[in-house]
Amino acid sequence: MNLRDPNSMNRILGIVLKTGVVLSGVIIAIGTVLFLTNHSLDNTSAYLAYNPVLIPHGSFPVSLSSISSGLTSLDPSSIIQLGFLVLLATPVARVALSLFLFAAEKDRRFVYLTATVLAILLFSMLATPLIPLFNG
Amino acid sequence: MIVILFFLTLFLASIAAGALGSIVGIGGGLIVIPILTLFLGVDIHYAIGASIVSIIATSSGAAATYVKDRITNLRIGMFLETGTTTGAIIGAAIAAYLSATILEAIFGTILILSLVPLVRKIGEEYPTKQELKGLAKKLNLRGDYVERDGRKIEYNATSPGKGLAGMLVAGLISGLLGIGSGTFKVLSMDLAMKLPMKVSTTTSNFMIGVTAAASAGIYFARGDVNPLITAPVALGILIGASIGTRLLVKARNTAVRKIFALVLAGSAIEMILRALGF
Repeated sequence: MNLRDPNSMNRILGIVLKTGVVLSGVIIAIGTVLFLTNHSLDNTSAYLAYNPVLIPHGSFPVSLSSISSGLTSLDPSSIIQLGFLVLLATPVARVALSLFLFAAEKDRRFVYLTATVLAILLFSMLATPLIPLFNG
Repeated sequence: MIVILFFLTLFLASIAAGALGSIVGIGGGLIVIPILTLFLGVDIHYAIGASIVSIIATSSGAAATYVKDRITNLRIGMFLETGTTTGAIIGAAIAAYLSATILEAIFGTILILSLVPLVRKIGEEYPTKQELKGLAKKLNLRGDYVERDGRKIEYNATSPGKGLAGMLVAGLISGLLGIGSGTFKVLSMDLAMKLPMKVSTTTSNFMIGVTAAASAGIYFARGDVNPLITAPVALGILIGASIGTRLLVKARNTAVRKIFALVLAGSAIEMILRALGF
C-alpha cells in the first residue's frame, strides 16, 4: 500500500470504513446477545426511565472509565457503548484519511479544507461534551 | 412491554429506516424517532440520542459500499461540510435562545415549498451538463461515476456559493433541532448545484455522518445514548443500509428522486405536526 498513490489511498479508506462498521456491529451484537440471554423477559420500563436529575444514569455507563471497568466484568451495556464508540470513530477516520487522500492527489486547497473540517469536528466532539466523559 | 419484543420491533423498524435512509441520503431519524416516541412511548431525549446513532450507522454503513462504487463525491462533500459543521456549532450555541416550535414550523414550510421545484424535475434522469466556472472551477467541483450498464456519467457542479449557503442553513437546523437535515442537504445539491440525484444522496450520506459525529459526544456524555435502544437501532440500520446501498447502485436517478420526494413530503408533515404539538 502506497500512501502517495490516490488509488491505494481510496482502497485503504474503504478497508478502514468496512472494518470499523463490521467491528462495531460485531461488538454491539455480542453485547446484545449477552443482554438478551439474561433480560429478555424483563419489563423495559426499568431501562427506559429518563430522569435528568439523575444524570449520568445509573443503569448504563456514559464515561470511559465506567465503560472500561464494565468491560472487565463483561457488562452488556458497557460492551454496547464500546461498540457505539467504535462506530462514532468511523466518520472521524474517514475525514482524517481523506486528508491523506487529497495530499496524495497533491491538492493543497483540499488538504487545507479537509484539515478545517477535521478541526471543527474534533473541536465540537471533544471541547465541552467529552470532558465529563473522561472524568466521570 | 418486555425487552425481547421491544428489541425486535425496533430492530425491524431500523432495517427499513436504514434501507430508506441510505437510498435517499437521510439518517433514518424520520422513522426511528416517531416509532420510539409515539409507538414505544420512549422519552424524546432517548429518541434523539437513538436518531444520532441511526444517522452515524446509516452514513458509515452506506459508505463502506459507496466508497468502492465511487458515486459519492468526496470533494464536493468536504467543501460543503465546512458549511454544515460551522452551522451546527452556531445552531447548538444559539439553540437556547430560539423556540423549537417556530423553527419546526419554518423548516416544515421550507420543505413543503421545495416540493414544487423538485416535482418540476421529477422525470429528469441526468442534469444537463453545466459549464465549470468560478469557484466551482477553482475547487474542481466536478466528477464522474459509472452506471451499472457501463455508461460513464460526467457532471460539473454549479452555484457552489448557493450550495454552501444551503449547507449552513442545514447545519443550523441540525444544531438547533438535533436532526440530521439530510433532506435539506440533498435539496441543496439537487436544486442549486445540479448534481445527478444519486451523487446528491450518497454525498449527503457522507455528510450527515460527519455532522452527527460532531454533536454525538454531547448526547453521549449527557446520557441520552441508551444502549438498550441504540443496540437494536444500530444493528438494524447497518443491515438496512447494506440492503439500501445495493439497491441504489442499480436504481435509476428518477426512481431515487421519486422516493426522495415522498420522504420529503413525510418529513415536512412530521415537522409541522411536531410544531403543532403532536
